[in-house]
This record gives sequence, structure tokens and C-alpha cells, in this order.
Amino acid sequence: MSDDPLVRVDDLHKRYGDEEVLKGISFEMDRQDVQVLVGPSGSGKSTLLRCVNRLTEFQGGEITLDGTPVTEMDVDDLRRQVGMVFQDFNLFAHLTAKENIMLGPRRVLGKTEEEAAERALDELDRVGLAAQADSYPAELSGGQKQRVGIARALAMDPKLMLFDEPTSALDPELIGEVVEVMEDLAEGGMTMLVVTHEMGFARAAATDIMFLDQGRIVEHGPPERLFENPEHERTAQFLERLTRLHGETR
Amino acid sequence: MSAGEADGDADADAGGGVAPDARTAGPRRSRAGTLKYVAGAVLWGWVLLRWGNDWLGGVFVPRGQAFVPPATVAGLGDAIPVLAGVANGLAFAVHYLPNLMNAMWLTVVLTVVSITLGFPLAVALAAARSYGHYTGWAALGFVELFRGTPLLAQLFVLYYGLPWLPAFFRNLPFVGEGIVPAQAVWVAVVGFTLNSAAYQGEYIRGAIDSVDPGQLEAGRAVGLSKLGSVRYVVLPQALRYAIPGWTNELVYLIKYSSLAAFITVPELLYRAQAFASETYRYTELFVLAGVLYLGLVVTASSLMGYVEGRVAIPGLGNAEGR
Ligand SMILES: Nc1ncnc2c1ncn2[C@@H]1O[C@H](COP(=O)(O)OP(=O)(O)OP(=O)(O)O)[C@@H](O)[C@H]1O
Ligand SMILES: [Mg+2]
Repeated sequence: MSDDPLVRVDDLHKRYGDEEVLKGISFEMDRQDVQVLVGPSGSGKSTLLRCVNRLTEFQGGEITLDGTPVTEMDVDDLRRQVGMVFQDFNLFAHLTAKENIMLGPRRVLGKTEEEAAERALDELDRVGLAAQADSYPAELSGGQKQRVGIARALAMDPKLMLFDEPTSALDPELIGEVVEVMEDLAEGGMTMLVVTHEMGFARAAATDIMFLDQGRIVEHGPPERLFENPEHERTAQFLERLTRLHGETR
Repeated sequence: MSAGEADGDADADAGGGVAPDARTAGPRRSRAGTLKYVAGAVLWGWVLLRWGNDWLGGVFVPRGQAFVPPATVAGLGDAIPVLAGVANGLAFAVHYLPNLMNAMWLTVVLTVVSITLGFPLAVALAAARSYGHYTGWAALGFVELFRGTPLLAQLFVLYYGLPWLPAFFRNLPFVGEGIVPAQAVWVAVVGFTLNSAAYQGEYIRGAIDSVDPGQLEAGRAVGLSKLGSVRYVVLPQALRYAIPGWTNELVYLIKYSSLAAFITVPELLYRAQAFASETYRYTELFVLAGVLYLGLVVTASSLMGYVEGRVAIPGLGNAEGR
């Protein structure tokens, strides 16, 4: 069972109305893989992520998590197992950092107040924000917000983490602290599917990079090959431009 | 998005920031604020003494009789002739206020019970309208029915058109005994509850719609059901946004509760009108009633301002929260 890939996406098709946004996407992720997804705006990166935890429904093909098609899983149960980190953080605005992290364990996993609080403090510690436990989102910097967002997802003990441009809304000087947390996470063996333009992260942490354009995978492979020796001219151009814009941030 | 005076309080707290205790200190009071608290304390101290006196069968003075005899007040006019006119008016007020205050009890019951019962209904209506499909249509029908027809017509239908309804309340224990009002009041409460729920629901729906959709999505993404996300993520924010509008509805309800007079409820305005037609002193009696309404309204809006400050969260409801 655990030799199977953790995630298998097979010929995924997704339409919004008449517009086909994903036109047959297939790939696999083993446990501890870090899959980086790049592509121009509108290429379908967010849509692909949202199909995985069924924030949006898809029309064709199949996605399995741990061998079970996600469409056959209870949707709340699926999301319990798949953490998501958003571009604009989406922290619960009325809750402190600690309470943000506690909500899922309390109300979804049914943990006690004490268990949830203890776990929340551990997770805050892991992302370096123990001192901000009682701050409200409005009192945190963007980088701090995103680290709380990551901690919130981790507190659910997910099998898989989805990141949708986690650093795109951040001022350049705040990107580093978030990327660092993500690199630690990757090193710790978390399976991650990451949409990002941070080529520093991709080089350092990615198992594979996937280049998506107009709903199709243009090229897919380990970072060394895609950076040094891409098959397609388009891949080379795109990665080169990203590296120029979002290369080394630290 | 949030309108109004209470914003100042929320901002003051927001600055205070990190320690939750900072929020319990409450807003600093201006001199005018202090005056308001003193006036409120005097008004409500007096009101409670009056109610207590009359409910307990006249502990201090006989029921319906003033604490200070009107003749004494009028006597002031004899002592200081320049103040004769004022003393005369005051004596009149002192004579009628005890009865008006007993009528005010009904106004308070009508308002407080109706707004309280209407609130959960309003939350359900708002949630249905924002998130429901069939339930959304049903809620829309309810809201349009109760907002789109005159409140008075609704009261007439309930009281005269459905004879079993007053009969039902009449047969309940304690109704019409002691401080528990008679059946007509409870029929009016039903009407005000339904009507007010429609209006409250619209304020709450507006607030729900102003919560960033990303909040609901984040709730779903941690595995909460849609209902759970609404309950634990959207509503706690929306209800805070809704406070100023909701206060508006409360203030309206205090005043339109006087429509209950048309189905025989002897509330404040009805009683003032009755005394006025006995004495022909319309101006004085309606001014007195007006002062009591004003007391209720200022009390209600001050309380809600206080509540808004207490539940304020940094960044929520100010410009930054959207
Ligand atoms: N809810 C929606 N309804 C209709 N069309 C949508 C919706 N969401 C996305 N689309 C369309 O689907 C396509 C892919 O969008 P998607 O958000 O997945 O792109 P993306 O690669 O994440 O782009 P970006 O880099 O700008 O975030 C776009 O053409 C977009 O207009
Ligand atoms: Mg996107």
C-alpha cells in the first residue's frame, strides 16, 4: 500500500463553463516529494491545487490520495488530510494566531481545548512565532501571517500540503522567513505540492518541477534537468525569467 | 464598512493591541459620557424603584402614586412665585409619571422579548439567504412578506384574524397575572418578533456578504463543514459587523412597539394618549412620553456601543478589515 504513490493525478480535465482550464494533467507524487508547479498566469495552477482538495469539482480523469479516489472520499475527511496555504493567508480574522491554529483540531478533530492549545503552541514554536500566540491577524506582518497559515494547516497532521503562491503577496524582505519554514518542512519529510515563483526554493527543495501552460504540462522533471537542460525552449525562457525576477531571495 | 459613533471605541482598543485584558478596560469616558452615565443611573434607579414599589403592592407609597406628592411640588410655586409655571408643570409630571412608567414596562417587554426572540430567527434567515438554495428562497419570501406589508396589518391579522392565537396565550399559566402581561402583549410579541427578524436578518445578511469569501474557504480547507465554517468563522465576524445596523433596528423597535396599542396593549404611548384625552393636556403628556422613549433609546444605543467596544477585535470592522 505505502509503495503506491501518495498522490496520483490521471488525465485530469476541468472546465469552467465552456472554457477548458485543465486539459489532461497526469503526474504522481511519492511520499516526501516536493512538487513545484510553475506557469504563466491563468495556466491553471490554482485550479489544479483546488481540484486536489476538491475546493472545486472536476469533470474528467481521476485524482487519488493514498490509493483512494478523492471523489469517493468524504469531502471534509479529504480536507482534513490535505492542508492548504493561501496566497492571501486567509487567517480567521476574529481569532488570535493560537486560536486560528486551534479551530481545526477543536472542531474537526474533536480535540480538547488543552490538547489543541498545546499543539497550537508547538506549531507556533516550529514556525518561530511563539511570542505572537495572542496576536490577532491584523497585528501580524505578512510573513508572520503566512507562517501562522502554515502552522494552522500543519496542526491537522496532513498527509499532503498544498501551497498556492504562499509568498506572492509578501514584501520582498518578508519572503525569506516563509521560504525558510517551507524548506524546513520539506526537509522534515512533508509531501508538498507548491505553486511558487521562488526559484531559490525550487532549486533547494523541489524533487520535481512541473511547467504548466494553458492547462497542459509542458515539461516535468527534476530541477537540475529543467534548469540546466530543458527540452523546450519555452521552459528555458520561463524559468530564466522567473530566476531573474524571483531568484535568490536571501 | 461599519458606521457610526461606536467606531471610536473599537479603534481605541485596537491600538491597545496584544493583551486581551486591554480590551476589557473599556473606552475612556468623556465629560459628556460621564453625564450620560449619571443620567442613565438616575433614570434607571428611579424606574426600578417605581416598578419594585408597584409590583410588590406599594412598599414605599401606594401603587401608582408618586414618591413625592404632586401637591408638595406645586407648593414650591407658592413659595417662589417666579417658578410657579415650572412647578405647576412638574407637579403634573409627577402625578402622571408613575402610571406612564408602568406602561413603559410593557414597552420594554415588547421590545426586549421581540428583539431577543427575533435574533436567532434572523441569523437563520440571513444564513439561508446567503448560503441556502431552497431555504434561501423560503427566507426571501419570509423577509419580503414581513417587510413588504404594514406592521399594523400584521398585528391585526395575528390578533383578530387568528382567534386561536390570543386564546392560546390566555390559557398559558401566569399570563396576565402580576408582572406577566396579558395575552394581547404576547400576540404583539409574536408580530414584532417575526417582523423584526425580517429586518434584523437583512442587516445580518449584509454583514455576512461583507466577510471575505476567503474566510469561508479557509474554514472549508481545514476540514470544517460548510455549516461549521459559517458557524465558527463567518458568523463571529459578520455579527460584529452587524452591530451598528442591528442597533438601528433595536431603536426602531422601541418606537414602533407603540403600534401594539392598536391591539389593546396599554403600552407607553397608549397610556399617554389616554391621559391626554382625559385632561386635554396633550403637549405635556406627549413630551413626558417622549422623554421616556428617549431614555430607552439612549440606553439601548449606549449598551450596544458598549457591547461593540467589548467584542471589538483589532483590524476587524475598521477600514483594514474592509
Ligand atoms: N471560479 C472561476 N470561474 C471561472 N473561471 C475561472 C475560475 N477560476 C479560474 N478561472 C479561469 O481558469 C483559468 C485558470 O485559472 P487559475 O486561477 O487556475 O490560474 P493560475 O495559473 O493559478 O493563475 P495565477 O498565476 O494568476 O494565479 C483562468 O483562465 C481563469 O480565468
Ligand atoms: Mg493562481
